[in-house]
Amino acid sequence: MVWRRKGEILPRFAKLSAENLEAANTLIEAYKTHIGEKKKVLKAKVTDLENKGFEYRFVRGLALLLDRRGTFTCNSKINPVDLRRKIFQATENYGLPTSSEKRRKILAGAASETTLTTENIEEYLYADLDDELILEKFDPPSASELLQQYNLSLTQTLLFDSTELSFTASGNWQRLFYFIKKLGLIYEAYQDNGFWVKIDGPASLFKLTRRYGISIAKLLPTIVANPEWSVNAKVLWRYTNEVCNLKIESRRQGALLKKPSLPLVTYDSAAEQNFASQFQALKSEWTLKREPEPLKAGKHVIIPDFSLERSGVKVYLEIVGFWTEEYLQRKAEKLRQVNAKMLLLVDEALACEKLAKLEKPRQLDLIYYQNTIPLAPILRYLKSAFQEVKAQEIKILESLPIKFTEPVVDYDEFAARIGMSTEAVKAVIATNPPTGYVALPNFLVSKEKLTKIDTQIEERLRQSGKLSLTEATRILETEGISDASGALTTLGYKITWHGISSEQAEVSKTTK
Amino acid sequence: MPRLWFDKGTLLFNGVIATPYGKYDPRSGYYRLKASHYKDATDYLKESRIRFEDNVPNLPPLEQLKSKVELRAYQNKALDNWRHAGNRGVLVLPTAAGKTFIALKAIDLLRTQTLIIVPTLDLIDQWRKRVRECLGVETGVVGGGENTVRMVTVSTYDSAYSQAPQLGNQFMFLVFDEVHHLASPGYMQIGEMYIAPYRMGLTATYERSDQRHSLLPLLVGEPVYSIDVEQLTGKHLAPYTYEKISVELTPEEQRTYDEAMNTFKNYLRQRRIVLKSAADFQRFIMTTGRDPAAREALLARNKALRVAVNSEAKLDLLGEKLEEYKNEKILIFTLYNDLVYAISRRFLIPAVTYQTPREERREIMANFGNGRYKVIVTSQVLDEGVDVPDASVGLVLGGTGSTREYVQRLGRLLRKKEDKTAKLVEIISKETMEVGISRRRRTKTGGTNAASE
Repeated sequence: MVWRRKGEILPRFAKLSAENLEAANTLIEAYKTHIGEKKKVLKAKVTDLENKGFEYRFVRGLALLLDRRGTFTCNSKINPVDLRRKIFQATENYGLPTSSEKRRKILAGAASETTLTTENIEEYLYADLDDELILEKFDPPSASELLQQYNLSLTQTLLFDSTELSFTASGNWQRLFYFIKKLGLIYEAYQDNGFWVKIDGPASLFKLTRRYGISIAKLLPTIVANPEWSVNAKVLWRYTNEVCNLKIESRRQGALLKKPSLPLVTYDSAAEQNFASQFQALKSEWTLKREPEPLKAGKHVIIPDFSLERSGVKVYLEIVGFWTEEYLQRKAEKLRQVNAKMLLLVDEALACEKLAKLEKPRQLDLIYYQNTIPLAPILRYLKSAFQEVKAQEIKILESLPIKFTEPVVDYDEFAARIGMSTEAVKAVIATNPPTGYVALPNFLVSKEKLTKIDTQIEERLRQSGKLSLTEATRILETEGISDASGALTTLGYKITWHGISSEQAEVSKTTK
Repeated sequence: MPRLWFDKGTLLFNGVIATPYGKYDPRSGYYRLKASHYKDATDYLKESRIRFEDNVPNLPPLEQLKSKVELRAYQNKALDNWRHAGNRGVLVLPTAAGKTFIALKAIDLLRTQTLIIVPTLDLIDQWRKRVRECLGVETGVVGGGENTVRMVTVSTYDSAYSQAPQLGNQFMFLVFDEVHHLASPGYMQIGEMYIAPYRMGLTATYERSDQRHSLLPLLVGEPVYSIDVEQLTGKHLAPYTYEKISVELTPEEQRTYDEAMNTFKNYLRQRRIVLKSAADFQRFIMTTGRDPAAREALLARNKALRVAVNSEAKLDLLGEKLEEYKNEKILIFTLYNDLVYAISRRFLIPAVTYQTPREERREIMANFGNGRYKVIVTSQVLDEGVDVPDASVGLVLGGTGSTREYVQRLGRLLRKKEDKTAKLVEIISKETMEVGISRRRRTKTGGTNAASE
């Protein structure tokens, strides 16, 4: 059930192929038609299928999952335990039935004391044994659901032997951290192309141990419930005792694993929900995201309620429920270790202490409110945060000895490359372009390049006396400039529109 | 002030001083220690005159014990050796030599919070009863759906392992019944995740075939006392006689058997596989996952074995034996649950398997003890340490071929009783693989051998 090579390990996933779906369907049908039958009859049927060409461990695995969807009950008019007590007592009274004649007499004697026949007694004597139970109800899954459940179980079984697991996911963080804590695991957060969490347990510090494997496996369904996720686990392969890497991700295995249904976006309070819908209605330049990626705060992790983003500037929001002053102080302590801007929204009505005057803890951005979250102060905060970040960035940019070698620099692309806002980049570079460069509205272009372009356009104009905007755009694009009209204006050309098509728009030299 | 506290089966220390047993844990920013180093670490800190706050133990209240334990000479010697080894170590005594009483006496002497760890739920009941009788207190129980902690608490290995993060700081003394279990890869962490400085291991079979018993000194202490069956036989334990009877398969059974065995042997011959050791067999089992022919061969072998074990002729002979010993208390052992129930149905006698409801099992064992039931049939659940009061005849039909299992099963018959000669009768099928298994099982076994073949 496992594929293993060169230290890599993977479950042998059942693909959702026609053949596997048929196997799943055959089994589901078998369970459906065996309602009312004894478990041992059903087992015999499953064994029969095992021997009919399907891989036997695959069939057995599916059957195990189907067993859990069945209700098995004991079919007896009398409690078998009471019946056995009666019979064994009779044996002690009459002596061991070493002949079949004697046995028959004992059973008949016992039967006469009840309303049962001797056949009933034979039937009910061990009716409570697992094999003798009756399949009373069965809740059939679809064939693909069964295969996905099988794949999930297979992966979990392999994770029972895991020593640690790292994962990243597109959401569900609050739930994930809640489970990590509840399962007695320890996490470490780190950045590696996104926010990753590594989990193991307290005793993992001393040696590799499978001890936390079961807890780790229990976390898997919550991880794969996300649309995007990635899992790297270390599995101590029990037969060779070597550590193998298990690597699965939504891109490759997502469709093979069953996603448990978790409510996707849940709001902790009406306050949050109201705030979210009101803010969305504003249609501001800020993009609101609910339950964004967690933030690393020293040894801890903070999961903010919202993130707000505007051209590279990120601000986090947290709506605080019941609170005490000490709570806010602790929060401030945590936030000091976070390299991000975070605003706390605190409902005065939810204070657990009666304070005459609420001291604002130092180094903590917070807004007190009553009943509904006010948008105006938040927007003010955002604006100042944006300005602040921009001002800081400008300061940094101004102190940087920036030298460009490429002839064309896209502000957006450059800002993203150095992790700053486009606004700051424009503010510094466009207002004071480096020597040898000319600032266009969206680009920085070397004078050399500009001259080359200018020559080309002039050449064309001289040859045909006329140049359409389409043609001019083509020339500019070949030179790596996509913002044609901006560039043309800077070069001293004007565009005369004769219609709405750029074919008919004409480029000509501005006469000074 | 630096603080030491318990964190899910380990200890954390927030001082800036590295203790010899601690390891810096970058995940928490503290020094982390194995819980089993609790005493060493606190001793070190005290000797070094480092002031610290000890928040580790979370002990249930002490209760008043009323001791009624009187030990025999050899039991006293065993206890003395253990005391001299610093209240640590393993005692190796045969089944029925009264290991329980030595442990109870130790609890009485130490008068501290104690966790008794046992392999089965049956043993929980048994220890609970003994503690009540001998120490006059009720026990806490962790396992089998119960979860109460008291000064003296009994738990299964499974629960002691899985609940170590919660239980690890609640006891100062651990008693490991059938301590050879502790050496298994999972359970050995019980030894590491509990703070208890005092530890006692009890077993009849110290050595494990996988050699892992070499780990026990670290987890419990060295073996400090050992006495074998021969030294006790006649003195404290009843002697027993051993008889082996071979019966022929019925012609039809023989045909099925030969057919199945040929399938198996042909496969081995074709693939040039030689099965000599348990490891060889394990490797063969592994190949059955990939190779359908190997699986077919394995199924054939199991079928042959089942025919041999479940032979009709054996049941007839069993009937004769039951007749012969009809005034004695008889225990019938067999490997297969199917056979247990076939025997139970045929002779209308109580059966005990892993499927028997706990209440019913308790009732059957009690009735067998007080003589209301004279015969019971069982598979493997009674294997270890469970008191089966004074059975005088054991009838064995089949087995797995492990040495330990055989010793323990014999032990079941060795309860000391006036003028009792226990009988062990093994019924096997002639000219089958089973002969081999039975011979392997007999090695390393003491006792007088009156085989009549």
